Amino acid sequence: MDENVIKVENLVKYFEGRCVLDGINLNVPRGCIYGLLGRNGSGKTTIIRILLGLEPPTRGRTFLLDAESTELSARLHSRIGYVAEGHNLIQSYRVGRLIKLCKDLSLQWNDEFFNHLMETFRLPTDRRVKELSIGMRAQLNLALAMAIDPELLIFDDPTLGLDTVARRQFLELAIDLIQQQGRTILFCSHILSDVERIADRIGILAAGKLVVDCPLEELKERIKKLRIIFPESAPPNLYLTEIINQQIQGREMVITVANWNKQKQTILETFKPSSCTEIPMSLEDMFIECTKPNPKYIES
Amino acid sequence: MFALIKREIQDHIVYFIGAAVFSAVFIIMSISLIHQYDPKVPPVFSIGLGIPAVTIVIFGICAMGATQMYLDKTRKISALLSTLAVSRSRILLARIITGILAILILLVPQTIASGILLRIFTPPIPMFPGMVFEISLVVFLMAFACYCIGLQAGWNSNPLTPSLGALFLTCIFIPLILIKGFGVHIVVILVLFIAASLIRTWRTFMTTSL
Amino acid sequence: MQFRIDNASDRPVYRQIMDQIKRDIALGRLIKNEKLPTVRQLAGQIAINPNTIAKAYRQLEQEGIIVTKAGAGAFVANLDSNLSRSVRKKLISEELERIAVEAFHMQIDSQTLLEWFNNAVVKFNLPSKKG
Repeated sequence: MDENVIKVENLVKYFEGRCVLDGINLNVPRGCIYGLLGRNGSGKTTIIRILLGLEPPTRGRTFLLDAESTELSARLHSRIGYVAEGHNLIQSYRVGRLIKLCKDLSLQWNDEFFNHLMETFRLPTDRRVKELSIGMRAQLNLALAMAIDPELLIFDDPTLGLDTVARRQFLELAIDLIQQQGRTILFCSHILSDVERIADRIGILAAGKLVVDCPLEELKERIKKLRIIFPESAPPNLYLTEIINQQIQGREMVITVANWNKQKQTILETFKPSSCTEIPMSLEDMFIECTKPNPKYIES
Repeated sequence: MFALIKREIQDHIVYFIGAAVFSAVFIIMSISLIHQYDPKVPPVFSIGLGIPAVTIVIFGICAMGATQMYLDKTRKISALLSTLAVSRSRILLARIITGILAILILLVPQTIASGILLRIFTPPIPMFPGMVFEISLVVFLMAFACYCIGLQAGWNSNPLTPSLGALFLTCIFIPLILIKGFGVHIVVILVLFIAASLIRTWRTFMTTSL
Repeated sequence: MQFRIDNASDRPVYRQIMDQIKRDIALGRLIKNEKLPTVRQLAGQIAINPNTIAKAYRQLEQEGIIVTKAGAGAFVANLDSNLSRSVRKKLISEELERIAVEAFHMQIDSQTLLEWFNNAVVKFNLPSKKG
């Protein structure tokens, strides 16, 4: 059994001539909570849909639990819990009927756990799904996904529409699940504070590429934002690699660099800057930096 | 599998009720018509009723197939189902089985009733052994063919368009039957048509994005 | 135990947990040989990935601030005995240098800085000499 529960190899996807994914490579090991970040329309949902076999890739291959996504068997689906963006449930059904359908079609169903969740979320069973609020639909979707006791959970914006308390409940559920042996979670979210709390690794999608893919704790240590002041006007090119962003204004240069090390420090020092300070960055700051379009020079 | 079929039937119960009602009406009309049977009077009334009846049936069967696919797409039913512990092929198979069940509910009572009535009232109408079986088979295949047209087209369009198409195609098939008779040829043509249609539907359903 | 994770901070979450545990020990909220919550308990309580908490505990153990006993859990260390002086010197010196750099950039002179430092020493009741 491969250690990597999710594998994406050179994934390319075009939608009507537009390139949405441009060669994505990604591995999620067992037991990991992977947070996939990216702006709206960056392709997060597309990757997930391709992984689940809902959408065919243009080029490249993806694997879930050692099986190719285009050939996922029913048995494998029973090991995967999925919460789709927009909470894809059959809107016209009554909640009770939908639950029965999911239960009948499942291979293993933890009734006790499901009822406990329904009670915690206080979800009604006699209303139609379309009459529920977005938050309640989200919770229903979550409960249905968790009730099958899945090995792998894939969440696409799972906290959309959830109030603060419900969001916290969701996080606690996720933590509870991951503490059980051999479970893995892949989730996309816009709420960076949630990602920072529970993710082990994060990936950031921008312009069709995975610009970041590393353990979360390393991220803050690896990406640095520096404010460098030069005695005379700042040089246009520092000959540094892995520059994420660069802004020049007269003598001052603000530069965001990945994998800052002694080598880069030495190269910088050859330009004899008069001062160099680090600007602290939160996860949100880093996310914004990494998803900016191509860096521009601003001169005054 | 059973759960899938049950779901399809529940969602399209209208067609099942329609089929049962139509079947019952047909049997009652047949009985009353045979009571009034007079060899000297041309069967204008029967034909006058027969043609719109056949039209409704064709339209209805095709619409059922189209509706099944169309509702699936608009309500994103398969999109949800395929993430549960079922495969796409099973979803499609359940759908087709449901369609066949509806057709059978429509045709089987009529066939049995026709068989009984003909047995009672022959020999005014010439018969040869197996005639009922052959006619029933061709009728069933024709109905199934209409259903397949509905299935194929329903994924992308509303139920109306393919139904009209089916009507048009039947206008071709009925003269063909009248000319060639209910023979092996017709059966072969229909089977080939159905096979091609189903294969195409299968391919579309398996590879489409949900 | 209460933890507050600051998402606007540039410190990784595991470091924030470490900082808060160290602070609690320094302020006397956690005493010598007191049992810390298990990784599982804490993870569930504050909705933080258990690996992050495990890393914080591992790091604290390396610095000699806590000890883990197999089967029993994590305990606040008996701070007088464990860590060698050189390691402690290294850790504190790193923090002091960070502060010195900050002060330089904020143009605070050494006199003022030492005054403020003494205030902090008094606030946390540091003994004048190891007895």
